[in-house]
Amino acid sequence: MFKWSVTAMIIFIFLFPVPCRAKTPERIISLAPNMTEMLFALGLGDRVVGVTSFCDYPPEARKKPRVGGMSNPSLEAVVSLKPDIVVMTTDGNQKAFEERLRSLHLKTYVSRARRIRDLAKGIRDLGAALGVREKADRLAADYKARLERIEALKPAGPKKKVLFIVWPDPLIAAGPGTVIDDAIKIAGGINLAGRSIAEYPKYSLEAILRDPPDLIVIGPDMREQDSGSIRKLARGLLSRLRTLPVVKNHKVFYVSDDLYRLGPRTIRGIEELRRVMDE
Amino acid sequence: MNSMKTGIFFIILVFSAVLAASLFLGPSVINPFAMDGTTKVILFSIRAPRVVVAVLMGTALGASGAVLQGILRNPLADPYILGISSGAALAAASGIVLGLSVFGTFTIPVLAFIGAIVTGGIVGILGWRRGGLWPERLLLAGVGLSFLFSALLMLLLSLSTTEGLRRATLWIFGDLSMSDWSIMPYGLLFVAGGLAVSLWRAKALNALILGDELTHSLGFSPHRERFLLFVAVGLMTAASVALGGMIGFIGLLVPHIARFFLGSDNRFLVPASAVLGGALLCVADLIGRSLIPPMELPAGIITAIIGAPYFLYLLRKKNVLSF
Repeated sequence: MFKWSVTAMIIFIFLFPVPCRAKTPERIISLAPNMTEMLFALGLGDRVVGVTSFCDYPPEARKKPRVGGMSNPSLEAVVSLKPDIVVMTTDGNQKAFEERLRSLHLKTYVSRARRIRDLAKGIRDLGAALGVREKADRLAADYKARLERIEALKPAGPKKKVLFIVWPDPLIAAGPGTVIDDAIKIAGGINLAGRSIAEYPKYSLEAILRDPPDLIVIGPDMREQDSGSIRKLARGLLSRLRTLPVVKNHKVFYVSDDLYRLGPRTIRGIEELRRVMDE
Repeated sequence: MNSMKTGIFFIILVFSAVLAASLFLGPSVINPFAMDGTTKVILFSIRAPRVVVAVLMGTALGASGAVLQGILRNPLADPYILGISSGAALAAASGIVLGLSVFGTFTIPVLAFIGAIVTGGIVGILGWRRGGLWPERLLLAGVGLSFLFSALLMLLLSLSTTEGLRRATLWIFGDLSMSDWSIMPYGLLFVAGGLAVSLWRAKALNALILGDELTHSLGFSPHRERFLLFVAVGLMTAASVALGGMIGFIGLLVPHIARFFLGSDNRFLVPASAVLGGALLCVADLIGRSLIPPMELPAGIITAIIGAPYFLYLLRKKNVLSF
C-alpha cells in the first residue's frame, strides 16, 4: 500500500508539475514563420530553440533547429527540444497538434491574430504571455503610430483599384479576408479582387479586361530573394494584358514579401504598397 | 442509314451550339455584332484559345478512353491509368521546382509532354512480351508506374517549403484559364494525328475486343494493331496533359455514355466519344468561368459534377451495359 502511494505520488508529480510562473520562458519553439519574426522582434531570438522549415526571417532564424512544416511538425522533434512554451497560430497550425502538445503537458501559446487590426493586440498579448510586456507594448505602440500616419495621409484623387497578384500562372489574386486585402484598404485603395468568395481566388483574365485595375502589384516567389523567377512567369500574363493602360503606362510593381505574413514587417509592407500607389 | 445521317447532323448541331455558347456566353455576354476593342481582345485572345484547348483536350481524352477500354478489354481503363499523367505531372513539377526555363514560355508544357511520352514508352516496354503488347501487362505496368510517380510527386511537394510551389501545381490539376494560341498548333498536330490513327484502326479495335484469336481470323495482327493504337492514345493523352494539365472523368466515363446510345461499334464510338468529350469540357469550362465571376472554378471539377450524376442516371435507366 505504501509502495503504491509513493508510486502514485511520483507519477502525480511528473504528470502535473507545479505550474511555474517563470517570468520569461527559457526555451521557446515557434511553429509559424510570423510568430518567429515576432519573437525575434521582441528580443527573444536567443531563447528560440526550434522553428519550422518555413521560418526564414530574420536570417538568424534559419540557423535554429527545424521541427518540420507548419501543418505537419514532428511531435517528437518538438518534445525532444524540451520547450518551456510552444508558440502557435490559428492561421496555419493544426488545432489537434496543439491539443496533443497540451496532453503531453507542454505549455502552448496560440495567437489568434489573423488580420491587420488584430496585430497590435496580438503583439501585446504575446509579450504578456512571455514576460516581455514592456518591449511588446513599445513595439505595438510604434506599429500603431506608423499605421495611423499612413491612414491620416489619404492619397490625392479618387481611390485607386489595386490588383495584388500572388501567382501569375495560373492567375491567383489576393482576395477578401487576407492581410493583403486589409493593407490595400489601409493604404487608401480598393482591392479589385476584394469581392471574390475565396481568400485567394483563381482570377478571371476576362474580368481584368472588363474592369481593369489602376495598378497591378505582384508579390514575390517566396523561394527567391529577388523577383527574377516571378518576373519571368508574369511576362506571359502581362503580354496578354498589354492593351490595358495599367500595363502600357508601366503601373506594374514587384513588391517584397512583407505583406505575406502578419508580423513585425507587415507595417513596412503597407508603407511599400502606399509608395507604389503614389507612383 | 437515314437515322444515322440524322444522328450525325444532330451531333454536329449540338456541338456547334456548344462552341457558340462557349464563345459568346460567360461572365459577360458578347454580342458579335457590336464589339469594342476590349470585347475583341476577350473574344479572340482569351475565350477562343480557351475553347479550342477545351475541345482538343476533351476530344483527346474521350477518344483515348474509348480506344484504351478496347485495347485493354477493361471498362475501367482511362487515359490516366497508364501513368502517363503522373509522369507528366512529375516532370512539370520538377521543372517548376528547379526553376527551369529551357524552352522559354513553353517550358512547362514541353516538360509535361516529354514526361508523358517517356512514361508511355516505359509502360510500353514493360508491357512488351514475345513480340507484342499484352493488355494485362500494360495495365499493371501503368498502375505500378503511376503509383511510383505520384509518390515521387508527393515527395517533391512535401519537401518543398514554399506556398508558391503549391500554387504552381494547380496547373497540374487542370487549368484552362491561361490558354493561348502559341502552343495550339502542336497540340492540334498530336491530337489530330492520334485521332486519325484511332479512326483508321477502329475496325481492328472492334476485332481486338473479341480476343486475339478472333482478331487473327478476321485478318488483323493483334500485336500490330495494339501497338498502333497504344501509340495513338499515348500521343493524344500526352498532348492533352501538356495543354492544360489533368482533367478527370472524361476519359473514363464519356466512352460509356456514348456506348449507352451507340453501342460498342468503335467506328462510331471513338468519334462520338471524341465529340462528346470535347463538348463536355467546353460546357464545363463555360460554367466554371461564369458561375461566380470574377473567380474561376477549375473545369475538371465541373466535368465530374455534371457528368457523374448523368452517368449514374443512365446506368440506372438503360438496362444494357454492354461492353
